[in-house]
Amino acid sequence: MPTVREEHRSRFGVLGIVIIVVLSALLVRLWTMQVLNGESFAAQAENNRVREISLEASRGRILDRNGEPLVTNRSALAVSVDPSHDDVRALLVRTWTEDTADDPTSSEITEMFGEIADLLGTTPADIYTQVTDVQQEALRPRVIAIDASMEAVAQILERQTDFPWARVEETAVREYPNGTLAAHLLGYTGVISQTQYEQSDEYAGYEPGDTVGKSGVERQYEGVLRGDKGWRRIEVNASGKSQGVVSEQAPRPGNDIRLTIDVEVQRVAEEQLELALAESHRQGYTSAKAAAAVVLDVQTGEVLASTSRPTYDPAAFLGGISTAEWEALTAKGSEYPLNDRVVMGAYPPASTFKVVTAISGLEAGITSENSTYNCTGRWTEMGEQWPKRCWKRTGHGTLSLRAGIKHSCDVVFYEIGYELYKRELEELQATSRLFGLGEKSGIDLPGEVSGRVPDAAWKKRYNENYPEYQMWLPGDTVNMSIGQGDMLTTPLQMALVYAGIANDGVVMKPHVLKDVLGSEGEVVRTIAPETLHDTGVSSEVLGVVERGLVDVTETGTAKGAFAGFGPTVAGKTGTAEVKGKDDYAWFCAYAPAEEPRYAVAVVVEQGGHGGSVAGPAARNILAQLLGEPIETVRATDVSR
Amino acid sequence: MNKTLGQRILDKVNVPLVLWVLALLVYGSIVVASATSEMAGGAGLLRRHILGAVVGLVPLALAWAFDYTRLRGWHGVLVTMGALLLISPRLPGIGYEAGGATSWIQLFGVRLFQPSEPAKLIFIVVTAAVIASFKGRIDSPRAVGVVGAYVAGAVGLILLQPDLGTGLVFVAIAFVMLIVGGMKGRYFAIAAGLLVVATFVVLQFGLLADYQEDRLLVFVDPSRDPAGAGYNLAQSKIAIGSGGLTGKGLGSGTQSNLHFIPARHTDFIFSVLGEELGFIGAVTLLGLYLALLLTALAIATSSRDLFGALIAAGVLGMWLFQILENVGMTVGMMPITGIPLPFMSFGSSAMVTNLGAVGLLLSVWSRRYGA
Repeated sequence: MPTVREEHRSRFGVLGIVIIVVLSALLVRLWTMQVLNGESFAAQAENNRVREISLEASRGRILDRNGEPLVTNRSALAVSVDPSHDDVRALLVRTWTEDTADDPTSSEITEMFGEIADLLGTTPADIYTQVTDVQQEALRPRVIAIDASMEAVAQILERQTDFPWARVEETAVREYPNGTLAAHLLGYTGVISQTQYEQSDEYAGYEPGDTVGKSGVERQYEGVLRGDKGWRRIEVNASGKSQGVVSEQAPRPGNDIRLTIDVEVQRVAEEQLELALAESHRQGYTSAKAAAAVVLDVQTGEVLASTSRPTYDPAAFLGGISTAEWEALTAKGSEYPLNDRVVMGAYPPASTFKVVTAISGLEAGITSENSTYNCTGRWTEMGEQWPKRCWKRTGHGTLSLRAGIKHSCDVVFYEIGYELYKRELEELQATSRLFGLGEKSGIDLPGEVSGRVPDAAWKKRYNENYPEYQMWLPGDTVNMSIGQGDMLTTPLQMALVYAGIANDGVVMKPHVLKDVLGSEGEVVRTIAPETLHDTGVSSEVLGVVERGLVDVTETGTAKGAFAGFGPTVAGKTGTAEVKGKDDYAWFCAYAPAEEPRYAVAVVVEQGGHGGSVAGPAARNILAQLLGEPIETVRATDVSR
Repeated sequence: MNKTLGQRILDKVNVPLVLWVLALLVYGSIVVASATSEMAGGAGLLRRHILGAVVGLVPLALAWAFDYTRLRGWHGVLVTMGALLLISPRLPGIGYEAGGATSWIQLFGVRLFQPSEPAKLIFIVVTAAVIASFKGRIDSPRAVGVVGAYVAGAVGLILLQPDLGTGLVFVAIAFVMLIVGGMKGRYFAIAAGLLVVATFVVLQFGLLADYQEDRLLVFVDPSRDPAGAGYNLAQSKIAIGSGGLTGKGLGSGTQSNLHFIPARHTDFIFSVLGEELGFIGAVTLLGLYLALLLTALAIATSSRDLFGALIAAGVLGMWLFQILENVGMTVGMMPITGIPLPFMSFGSSAMVTNLGAVGLLLSVWSRRYGA
């Protein structure tokens, strides 16, 4: 009988081949994976194992010129919603597909966020808006409240079953030790916007959801303040739980910066602006709501104070501003509290501009300190059909250029303007530009506007579609000569004009950054004074103007505001006419006249008269600067 | 012919078989030790693993001592026992569900063992007897039908649990035994065709549990659900691939120690081995398996009768398929099922069964010249 082996040799052979084939297949597969592609898998394993978390750099502080803190940091408890939590995701999917996205008050959203909204004193709709903010990184927790009450935080932590998607974390936020002081200049911070994020050059290295400066110095010096993020690589297990730190790069904190602002001057400027608004109301100008004031060091261009009204609270932006608050700040009729009128407000400069007309006339040689003019209150040089009036209807009688400045006589400047018109050299425009009008000063603040110096070319362009209005007329120059017509300037620009006159005709470039500090508080970068324009106006000409300006505060249109004030002040009132609105009150000045150090410009929208509203504010700001007592001045000047 | 006692014992022992199995047991214990080192109660798990091997010596010795030829007469008893084992998890009160299937039995709340494991051995013996009765020639539809009925019955009972992987093991065992049993090529072709059709029907009519279908589809397209069923496969492949040529060293596998590998001491023990010992460690294991399987093949060829050869071939088929399926699933060549790696995976049911299978092989070997 043949053995099994002999009978079925071939079958066992087949089996042996099957064994070899199976094991070879596995061997080839392993060779491919482990030897040929081992490195790629090793990288994946490393990627699995290691998670990188970015470490936020603390934002640099903003200090005043003497090191007084204006913006600092503090830690705060932030309540956030995890958008990747299943409940939240489900809600988002449902509300998105059911078109309730446009209706954040839907019952489902109220059901989910209603209770926590009550705890935090917000609304379900606001929370929903924050959570659905697509500008943030998909998985980043959405902060819905900063500084929630301890009771709310305790409830949220205790009732994690009710709010499984809510977290409470400590986070660093901006602190404003002086409240709203200098809010416009300092600016506010917020989550980087899509537009900012996509400007990859300026915001390279940012991640969606990062906090950035949105306005003012916070925005201007974002690159200095932000520092560099660090990272920490941690080893995690499959559940994402940390097993320890693999490596770490500490964040580099942002630099502190010192501004040119003096917190005491700033405080006085803000108080005086409030008082000026109140004084306007008292005088019956009840529409007065907005105002601006700026103080410059005439020799360096440093901004010592800069304030704008109405104002806002930068702290309201911490953790995201509520929809209602945002609307209140940006709605039509809100007077736009976020706008910094010092650099964004463009107004007719009115009589404060007369110094430029005087300089232009003096330089052209068509007038001199003692040239005489006759003001009857009515001026018809351009023809009987084009009568112009002086603000003083009864006329100033016979007076010199110097007295014209002192009394702010319109006729004197109509005459000069008309002469300049006849020369057809656009010298008034040239002088305006020489002092920095009609162009951005280049101050280190975002959003500056250039104002407008009207000329023939501009008028032609501006009235492109109205050919009958395209010609530059004598009346255009005449109106311009008293700072009306199409002339527009910012408060900063007018301060620069007066600073230029004060500084022997040299206009210094304005700036708010004084220096940048290193980690040990040492100065690493200083802003050197820079000439913006050397006007080349002779000291004789400037002397004439100065004497006129000193007359203004001593015996002229601002004598009431400066009654009893020690140092000599060279200043000028202005009362601008704006169609359909109450007059805008202006005052521009520099002091001490003998050895000028500071220039100040104040404007109160619809505040009435320069002498009685803006003048007293400027007086007390100068008083703070020059060590004079601050006094409540009730001036009654109703001149221009 | 007079032999010394030593010679007589040596005659009964297949020394290479014992050596390879011992080597695998040691190798397995080392990898299980590494896989469980970071686990809560890891040392206890290792002790249980070794205890399983010791307990397995009992069925090994029994099967060895027992003359396998007498098993042919126990046909009815074995079929009944096998059927009972396969049904038992479905009996009220003693089934225990884990991983979507009820493949364990428990008594008084204590999980005992997976009855489908010992059922494999019974299946091997019963099927060997059935095939052997056709005397090495399965070329009639009747013969194919009879064998097919046994296989289909067993697989059907397993799918009730439902345990797709073990069902496939039974099919593979039958396939290997039928090679030795002399089934004609055309029937293999027909059987293969039927398998394809059956697979299609099962998928088409949703006869599989969702998780089973997921596993199969993920096998075809791993990116289908990377966080779910595909996650295990992806993590296992990363572990093995990242082991490279020499591995990260025992106990240093990050995929393993950081819990990225699922069931790393049981079904995915090979992923740990591949990560920590690399290609060299994996080839060493495949080399040991090759030696084991060729030894089993040698025992099959040495059998004095077809029945013994078929038993040996069944054991061989069982191991070969489990190696293919287990290693294959960890490298993405096979769908993911809960098939343990012989002598390596933690798990006493399989360990005891595999040592019982060694006993069957020794029983065949020691009786190659007659009882």
